[in-house]
Amino acid sequence: MARLSGLQREVLSLYRKCLREIRKKPLETRSNFKTYTRTEFQKYISINKKDFNAIEYLLRKGYRQLEMYSSPGIRNVR
Amino acid sequence: MASIARQSSFLRQTCLSAFRSPLATRNGAGVSQVVAFHASAKKQILPPLPQTIQGTMNDAAPIPTPHPSEGSYHWTFERAISVGLVPLTIAPFAAGSLNPVMDAVLCSFIVLHSHIGFQAAIIDYFPSRRVPKTATFCSWLLRAFTLTTAVGLYEFETNDVGVTEAFKRVWKA
Amino acid sequence: MAALRSTSRLVASSKPLFRPAVFARSYATVEAAAQDPNPSEAPRTKTFHVYRWNPDQPTEKPKMQSYSLDLNKTGPMMLDALIRIKNEMDPTLTFRRSCREGICGSCAMNIDGVNTLACLCRIPTDTAKESRIYPLPHTYVVKDLVPDLTQFYKQYKSIKPYLQRDTKTEDGLEFRQSPEDRKKLDGLYECILCACCSTSCPSYWWNSEEYLGPAILLQSYRWLADSRDEKTAERKHALDNSMSVYRCHTILNCSRTCPKGLNPARAIAEIKKLMASH
Repeated sequence: MARLSGLQREVLSLYRKCLREIRKKPLETRSNFKTYTRTEFQKYISINKKDFNAIEYLLRKGYRQLEMYSSPGIRNVR
Repeated sequence: MASIARQSSFLRQTCLSAFRSPLATRNGAGVSQVVAFHASAKKQILPPLPQTIQGTMNDAAPIPTPHPSEGSYHWTFERAISVGLVPLTIAPFAAGSLNPVMDAVLCSFIVLHSHIGFQAAIIDYFPSRRVPKTATFCSWLLRAFTLTTAVGLYEFETNDVGVTEAFKRVWKA
Repeated sequence: MAALRSTSRLVASSKPLFRPAVFARSYATVEAAAQDPNPSEAPRTKTFHVYRWNPDQPTEKPKMQSYSLDLNKTGPMMLDALIRIKNEMDPTLTFRRSCREGICGSCAMNIDGVNTLACLCRIPTDTAKESRIYPLPHTYVVKDLVPDLTQFYKQYKSIKPYLQRDTKTEDGLEFRQSPEDRKKLDGLYECILCACCSTSCPSYWWNSEEYLGPAILLQSYRWLADSRDEKTAERKHALDNSMSVYRCHTILNCSRTCPKGLNPARAIAEIKKLMASH
């Protein structure tokens, strides 16, 4: 695999953080969270890797969403 | 909800135009033109980094470790030197006498003053969290320059005429 | 809410209401026949260029969009123009606004190159000149004219903007203050944290992660100057590093831009003086 750029590593780290957060959710809804995370990332998979502004914005948004969904009050997502 | 809002805004527009002169309606339709945004150069020197937020949204920003010698003492020292430079530059010319001790003090103050000034510029424009290598390089470069200047001034003072005398001669020449 | 709207409407136009209350979000729009003193007057059309960026299409670049408004039918302030654009021309235009009288600090933006509150900024009557409206400079834009102020608020939180004291008063009542001590807080407590000054400060542009910026330092001084606060030493200690305060190089953009007419630069100078006297 080619060497990843800093931004690409950031995206992967966000994805990993999301997966780690999912492990704290109740067992029966984990798959829902996982599909949700996957669709959120899939939505922007076609973005050019040189489009730094867009990716940085999406990272900010992603962290925002991760913070929101990681609150223990949220047990399920559809 | 969104559809309701849109509809009402549409209705409002038609409502408004009923009470308006035709001219006003044409204006109100608002022919808007879209222009590409050119505010910044294509190649930025130090482009802003992606936003980094430490902790969650509701945590306070971290407080840097207190360091009085880089904070309040540094500031007091800097101001004292700046204030001290004023009489030191005037005194030799006003008094008309040339004192090597005064000359030495003036030289050391000038060197320190410029060192502090350039240091502030380096901290401002090359923050170590942003460009750590450049920041270290620049501060060492600055130290080298300061040292060279100090040595040069020392040589000039001991082997030549000294700063104030040189200025005097240039002034009269 | 409905009452509020109808009063503002009464101010805007003395004409009886033709539109039902559902369509009442209209205080920015002055109806032509009611407000225009001489209706034969030619329309004074002014062009506004507004910064647009839609986060739903992140790959598209930000752009400037132009809107033409007849000033005879618009309220006197920039916010009125923006609200009118949103109501009548382009409902997708996004900006923050709340109080429309300069007390909430929501509508801070960069208008014709100056950071100010849209609700306190008169529309220049010179129609030949076009107005340009941008979000606050050097902020991460959320959408159109909405900046991300997360870091700003986090920094505000870091200075502990509340009264800290351990002792109680002798009589167990409230903490009282002499009129002279209270006077020290004038020009400080009025700050509404609109972030106009901080985002106009070049030092804050380069070092917003560590330098606190004029608005936060003004607030910090507000608590340092408060005679009731007992944690002055701790507050000073927390500021005692090269980044928090001493990145201020007295550029004075902050005092120049403050839409409330405050003087953050003076507050920072006072902090520096306080820090120097241990």
